[in-house]
Amino acid sequence: MTIFLQASFEGIALGAVYSLVAIGFVLIYKAMDVLSFAQPAMAVVGAGIISALAVDKGVPFWIAFVIALIATGLLSALLERVFLRPMIGQPVFSVAILTIGLDILLRTVLDDWIGLAPRFMGDPIVSWGEMGAKEVGGVIIKFQQMGALITAITAVLFLGYFFKVSKYGLAMRATSFDQEASLAQGINVGRIFSLVWFIAGILAAFAGFFITGGFNLLTQTSFISALRALPAVVIGGLDSIPGAIVGSLIIGLTQGYVAYYQFPFEKITGLTLGSGFSLLAPYLIMFVILIIKPNGLFGTEEVERV
Amino acid sequence: MKGRPKLYTDYQKEMAIFNTATQKVWALVGLVSLIISSFFFSQYWMYLITTALLVSVAAWGLNIVSGFAGQISLAHGVFIGIGAYVSSVLGGVGSSYIRGYELDMLIWLPLAGIVPALVGLMIAPLAVRLKGLNLGLVTLGLVYIASFIFSNWKSVTGGAGVGRKTAQLKIFGINFNDGLHLGSYHIEKNQFIFFLSLLLFLLAGAGVKNLMRSKIGRAYAAIRDRDIAAEAIGINLYRFKASAFALSSFYAGVAGSLLFLMSGGVAPSQFGLVYSVTFIAIVIIGGAGTILGPLFGAVFFSLMPGAIKYFLSFFEGFGEQLPLHPTQIERLIFSLLLIGFLIFEPRGLWGIWFRLRNYFKAWPFSY
Repeated sequence: MTIFLQASFEGIALGAVYSLVAIGFVLIYKAMDVLSFAQPAMAVVGAGIISALAVDKGVPFWIAFVIALIATGLLSALLERVFLRPMIGQPVFSVAILTIGLDILLRTVLDDWIGLAPRFMGDPIVSWGEMGAKEVGGVIIKFQQMGALITAITAVLFLGYFFKVSKYGLAMRATSFDQEASLAQGINVGRIFSLVWFIAGILAAFAGFFITGGFNLLTQTSFISALRALPAVVIGGLDSIPGAIVGSLIIGLTQGYVAYYQFPFEKITGLTLGSGFSLLAPYLIMFVILIIKPNGLFGTEEVERV
Repeated sequence: MKGRPKLYTDYQKEMAIFNTATQKVWALVGLVSLIISSFFFSQYWMYLITTALLVSVAAWGLNIVSGFAGQISLAHGVFIGIGAYVSSVLGGVGSSYIRGYELDMLIWLPLAGIVPALVGLMIAPLAVRLKGLNLGLVTLGLVYIASFIFSNWKSVTGGAGVGRKTAQLKIFGINFNDGLHLGSYHIEKNQFIFFLSLLLFLLAGAGVKNLMRSKIGRAYAAIRDRDIAAEAIGINLYRFKASAFALSSFYAGVAGSLLFLMSGGVAPSQFGLVYSVTFIAIVIIGGAGTILGPLFGAVFFSLMPGAIKYFLSFFEGFGEQLPLHPTQIERLIFSLLLIGFLIFEPRGLWGIWFRLRNYFKAWPFSY
């Protein structure tokens, strides 16, 4: 039972991290009909800026953290303005490939900077409690995982409030509904695009920190964790924020359970699933769900006219 | 009809593989100069040129499914990998922990195409059910599933980080691995692979061209332009989408089986997402939905490492101070080109060539 609780908690915490990236994916997709493959790279950019400021330059961690959040958001908005704005009206697939190009570009620069040795984030969380964790009823709760959970919940509540109440939130909803009609109503659609990418960048930077912080460290393969938000988005449906959250939780929990139960399962059944199966499981789930529901669990079905 | 090359008296002539005399001449000149140059170029450049030929075969494969039939496939590299492994298992030398049957090339080369084609057929039901981005995402998932299988199926692939040796070059029982003496002339192994690739390249090119001229090609184009409309005029979506995937995988597999022969080894890590994206980039930069486009793209990409190396050799001392490795420079240029072409020239190199050609054709008029 303790193992089950432990696996569940870690799965939910992972799901929270994925949901931060996944919400960014969905926001961009809703506003622009663009699937941004550059989102995982943005997460690593955020982590990289934190590490560069806090460890290399000696800036106090929390200041570095805030600077990194804003800088990643601004970089994300800049990328949209420079590379994606000229692509409006182009086929969806071309734009998606363009963001893959951006992803490779960002990652080449980052990989060169990160180098082969893992980089520290310089965060103080590991020094809290016992090695950054606390035991509650046999379950080890890491503060970092707790932080990810709280951040994700706060972000979702804030965004929900923002979309419901604020002027820009309303403008965003209008833009995602119909770009031209909202332009005709006096909404500055370009500014909305920038804002959406800014928010997505900030969320990615948060996720980047929770992926690389503590004992996880920043390596050249850190982005793979962020990329796992992609099956999460697909499972939930590309244009649904609740879907993104549910999808992320499914992926996170699967990964948690596989990590804890794969070995006992293999021992009982005699099958070997191979190393790294927990990384593969999300994609298998994505396969199954897409075959049953091509638009994901919560996605709206596209109405097609000839 | 002499002197009026664009006047066609019947449909057959217009749809011919080379429909003008100029095309015939240039194709012949290109072929002859390629064969002659193979005796003069250095090993390194021969390697690059052979790679270019094989990569364009694979790129044509992707072009069939993505360019002609309009179905996004991010998993093209996976099929190349399957082809490489089928050939390695059937034609390679086995050991206590790696399988290898040392068969003749006449057996493994066709099978290296057929097995990926069957796998392509297996994922076709997905392609029928999904469209657009969702299909792209499923094929993306396929890349990860395949790299997992490649890294874990140790008796076939050697496992992650280890890899295995590729097939032996044995045709009609003659082993070409150490070259072959023909009288006083000695044919190197890589030179032999070059001629083999050239033959494959010509066959594949003719295949693509003929496909596009036929009923199947027109059905693909109809599906690409509007699948619902295509279905309404009586095109069986399932059959044509499945055949597009199968054909594309066949091309990829055959190209893949030869592609890794020259280096002699193949490792699971080679078939990651970037590898598949490279082929998409080749098709896009070359010009999707055209026949010359993927060829342009493949030549451009395969010769780029050589060109960068050549360029850097001018800055001997300067090169060491560069903050990036040549491979990283390559990757940067690659991504920038991909982005640049998508924004400024969506029709790719083919589009540039098309405009240039028409400019000189109509010269001195602008129309």
